[in-house]
Amino acid sequence: MDAVYIAGLGIAFLSVIVAFYAILREQDDLHRILLTDLAEILALVLIALVATDLAEALILPGLVVGISELMAISEVFLVKESLSRPRYSPLSIEVMDSAPAIMSLALVLYGIVLSGFSGGALAGVGAIFYFMCRGHDERFAVIETASGYAWALWIFAFFIFMVLPEYWLFGVMTAGGAILLKVTGKMSLVGTMRGGHNE
Amino acid sequence: MNSLAVPAIGGAELHVIEFGDIVNYFSPYTAMLFAFAVLFTVIAIVSRPERQVDIAFGGDAYYTKDIQPEQLKFQRFMAIACGLATLGAVVSGDVFNFTLFTSMVGITNIGIVAAYKNRHVLNAAFQYGIVAMIATVPLFGGAAIILATTGTLSMWELFGSAIAVPLIAKAFLVLGVMGEGMAPFYVAKAEITRAPGAPYVLIIHVSSLLLFLRVVEIVLSM
Repeated sequence: MDAVYIAGLGIAFLSVIVAFYAILREQDDLHRILLTDLAEILALVLIALVATDLAEALILPGLVVGISELMAISEVFLVKESLSRPRYSPLSIEVMDSAPAIMSLALVLYGIVLSGFSGGALAGVGAIFYFMCRGHDERFAVIETASGYAWALWIFAFFIFMVLPEYWLFGVMTAGGAILLKVTGKMSLVGTMRGGHNE
Repeated sequence: MNSLAVPAIGGAELHVIEFGDIVNYFSPYTAMLFAFAVLFTVIAIVSRPERQVDIAFGGDAYYTKDIQPEQLKFQRFMAIACGLATLGAVVSGDVFNFTLFTSMVGITNIGIVAAYKNRHVLNAAFQYGIVAMIATVPLFGGAAIILATTGTLSMWELFGSAIAVPLIAKAFLVLGVMGEGMAPFYVAKAEITRAPGAPYVLIIHVSSLLLFLRVVEIVLSM
């Protein structure tokens, strides 16, 4: 086996030990959440050490699983400590009143032109900006539903590639459009994270 | 490729489901686990939640705890998701898929108990969640070390005698599954079972037990 891999493994194990020791010593619950997130990243490091294309493909699901666990625990922590949202607006700059409409329109339009994952990210940034500046009383359920259907469509497009390869163009367009919707929807949720009414 | 090593612990394969190079399979052993997981998922779908009764100490009074419909829906959804994740894990023919399904079981387990707003239960769920998160380090670490040393994650090749899997990878895998489901250490989850909603809490135990049985088979076969 590669000497570099062994060395990397040694360093990773050392970091794991340090992280676990820190978790062991820490008493504050919030800090423990942050430390476990740190430990999770070391799991990704262990995968990344393999350094092949396959490892690259494995990091993404590992990351997703880690983040979803982190979100679940954070939600439990919020309920447990009965923390509530701040009642005041935490940030107010003049440009946040004038710019959002035109800026987010431009970003979303350009995102739609790009389509696919990067387009979705760009359109999502536009939506984040708008929600952060203007506030929002949107219905989370609707965004979630749209994003869920888009995801199903995306998977469906992959089945087109596998079952009917001759319709690949249709598959590409479906996948590109669906992932655009999905990433946009998910990212726009980030802009609403500082509160507001939701249903 | 599609035949297990001759002295397979779980018995010869009965049925093979191919998804490209990821080949899931049923052996008598995993088919048994699968049947159990299906059974308890069906129970979670059809049964109504229990209603715990608290007796006021020193008197005749007692009160039943109500389960709100939203909480019922959420718990049932999480229980079904947990059952499906268990189904995936027991028939998986790929080590990394197995670890992913295992951590999904961990997440849904937190979800089942987190729906209930009781300080003790939430505290237990929080501590349990921390352990489940930490457990992803040995879990994914074990899978990654297997990939690095043998060059494959397919159980079809790993189960053969030609490939030797390092002991530390096996130990990591078992440690990871134990952390996600806490299978042999049910005492650690005692507080969690104070949450009402019997069939849903039940699936927490069933899923972790099935996962543990499966990982034992995997580790012994490798």
